[in-house]
Amino acid sequence: MIVLWIVLAVVVILVVWLVFAYNKLVRLRNEAEQGYSSIDIQLKRRADLIPNLVETVKAYATHERGVFEDVAAARSKMLSADSVGEAAGAERQMRGALGRLFAVAEAYPELRASENFRALQEELSDTEDKIAAARRYYNNVVQRYNTSQQTFPTNLMAGALGFRPREFFELDDEGDRAPVAVDLSKP
Amino acid sequence: MTLQEQIRANRRRTAVVFLGFAILILAFVAIIGGAYSPGLAGVLGIFMIGYGIISYYASGRIIAAAAHAKPVTKQDQPRVYRILENVAIAAGLPKTPDLYLIDDSSPNAFAAGRDPKHAYVAVTTGLLALMDDREVEGVLAHEVGHIRNRDVKLMSIAAVLVGAIALAADMLMRITIWGGDSDDNSLGWIGVAAGLLAAVLAPIGASMLQMSLSRRREYLADAAAVEFTGDAEGLALALAALRDDHQPLKHVTRATAHLYIESPLRDHKGLRSSLGGMFDTHPPLEDRIAKLEEIGGFTLPAATPAPQAP
Repeated sequence: MIVLWIVLAVVVILVVWLVFAYNKLVRLRNEAEQGYSSIDIQLKRRADLIPNLVETVKAYATHERGVFEDVAAARSKMLSADSVGEAAGAERQMRGALGRLFAVAEAYPELRASENFRALQEELSDTEDKIAAARRYYNNVVQRYNTSQQTFPTNLMAGALGFRPREFFELDDEGDRAPVAVDLSKP
Repeated sequence: MTLQEQIRANRRRTAVVFLGFAILILAFVAIIGGAYSPGLAGVLGIFMIGYGIISYYASGRIIAAAAHAKPVTKQDQPRVYRILENVAIAAGLPKTPDLYLIDDSSPNAFAAGRDPKHAYVAVTTGLLALMDDREVEGVLAHEVGHIRNRDVKLMSIAAVLVGAIALAADMLMRITIWGGDSDDNSLGWIGVAAGLLAAVLAPIGASMLQMSLSRRREYLADAAAVEFTGDAEGLALALAALRDDHQPLKHVTRATAHLYIESPLRDHKGLRSSLGGMFDTHPPLEDRIAKLEEIGGFTLPAATPAPQAP
């Protein structure tokens, strides 16, 4: 009889733990989803700014086709990305392309003086800050999500219940934050 | 303590604060009713319950009015608003808190409201004039940390209720001294004694409540700020700037003192300094800076000495 009670108690404890651990994982997974969609919103917002930016630069710098093509390629890659890794890759490419675009713009004083260009530049740098903020939130949540999946005892059930570690949104900052030197821009 | 535990603890404490407030109202009403008139007691009781309900929903607005904080738009303050937006995104808040401005040359800031969807961050014009973007970001991140940690509801409600307790105690003191001499009042001396006792004890209780609320919370909000910005040094520089500034804030009372990023009463002389650190609502800025230095692995230059009082 007493053995039965002990078994019962153990089962109850296990079920309660399972419910709590499961709910925690679900909550973190939702937070990670939400974090990713907030990155996505900012990436889209920037993608919307780009045609306008390219048109503005084109009006002054007619001979820089290569740069415009790079930016357009990065933009379409970003819009079609459907995984964290692809989006991060597109983002890296976009940073490089925009870096080159602004390097080109440096060589055109009338362009730099144009109010429209300056407004776009400001908007763009704001979006970039917001992407960085959204990325920080997403990576924080993903880290918590992955850690709780991998630590004992949650790791015993996380995989079986269909929780998988999520990918970080990584940009290896040093490389793409550095200004990109481009020959085209030299007069 | 994880974030979830912190949020749960905050919810529990909000319930305790309301319960404590309810008990205080009951005691207050009972004293008035016993010593003076049951009719007056009933009216006061209803008034206090109404006050409690209002304070739950409108604490943010009441505090804004008391602190002379006015809402501003993105067009008015694009620089600050953008920083606030970024910090809110990094904190994963459902929306950017509203931005309020206090026209005061003393640098300070606070957050209030009922939940992350109904919250605002208020900063003084003095803070914006004193600090660069990086420091402002640290301050806003600290305030957003309070919002994310669900501190604001508890702290806002505490502010409004502490204000109410002070008011009630004041009222009780007046009635006790000026109104208790009629002959048909058999319980006179008990009423006077109880009234005086309550009038003295209530504000002390309220202070202890405030104190227990805020000290630990400030460290937690500092840690949250670093999580959002990844820049412990920015916040430490901001705190150092607050430390080195000694202008007292104009519109501040004991009731709202615990809301601010640093104690607004620090430079007010009088009661606070005579009690030493016992009723401080905030941990010393030095300790907070030291913790940030530990997290970030840097060292700020030492404090400039405070101006000596003549």
